[in-house]
Amino acid sequence: MKPDDKNPFPRQKLSAPSTWVDQHGDYLFRYAMMRLRNRDLAENLVQETFLAALSGKKSFGGRSAERTWMVGILKHKIIDHYRKDFRERPVTDLQTFQIEEEQTIDQFYDAMDNPKKYPKDWMPDPAAVLHSKEFWETLHGCMEYLPKRTAHAFAMRELDDRDTTEICKELGISPTNLWVMLHRARLQLRECLERNWFDKKK
Amino acid sequence: MNTPSNWEQPTDVKLVTSCKQAARLVSLSFERKLTAREALAMRLHLAMCKTCTFYSRQIKALRGIFVRHEEFLSNTPPSDCECLSHETKQKIKRALDAS
Repeated sequence: MKPDDKNPFPRQKLSAPSTWVDQHGDYLFRYAMMRLRNRDLAENLVQETFLAALSGKKSFGGRSAERTWMVGILKHKIIDHYRKDFRERPVTDLQTFQIEEEQTIDQFYDAMDNPKKYPKDWMPDPAAVLHSKEFWETLHGCMEYLPKRTAHAFAMRELDDRDTTEICKELGISPTNLWVMLHRARLQLRECLERNWFDKKK
Repeated sequence: MNTPSNWEQPTDVKLVTSCKQAARLVSLSFERKLTAREALAMRLHLAMCKTCTFYSRQIKALRGIFVRHEEFLSNTPPSDCECLSHETKQKIKRALDAS
């Protein structure tokens, strides 16, 4: 913090709504793309976010930065969308879905009998990876291969760092449903990143 | 047809586990506290198995990176394909003006 800051927690003021799109549009869009991987949908949710921000201007308490406040609104919109994807299917479908996920997990281990498929010896370097466009694009590509609902669960847990119990409540699924999806996502994304990123960086 | 397994129950693990069980325990350890037996089985397996050790370290490190993705979004300018298109920006601006 700069020494001349008189108040360490100044109340933030909102900027003019006419400047919002240029200031935050791309950030919100990328944030949504990381979680939805669908341009049309991401664009729509960003537009809805701005409109909701405009009509809810008074609810901006100024305790957080303007962008953080907007990300918060967008987050809710994304989760509403996830919820719809989960709710559209009946519970029996979720059971079948879990069985399919478990079968995929088994296939991973069958494939691992092949020594070429063993996890290789690498460690990601956060300093390098956090600034690498290529890495996040690769992750993006890898997430496309996950079933939609598995990718949603993964995003809520690993990108948003939400609590498991909360996620289950929001999506209306059991912890086992969720854990199977997360385990499958981890196995598949790790392997996909190894093949398409870490192996190529050597 | 198979019945889905239940991960919430403590797994009745043998202390000598397969790689498949070990990886499942690694995942499970992120979601709930492992029972003493589960934790021991996991540690014993990892102590003996190099590939599962790579696996478990990589998964942990990747989790630490995923959760920091907003740093990437803030620090790296978007490429063209990651932007809202000019048309969309105009459309949203018009919608904001109208409301």
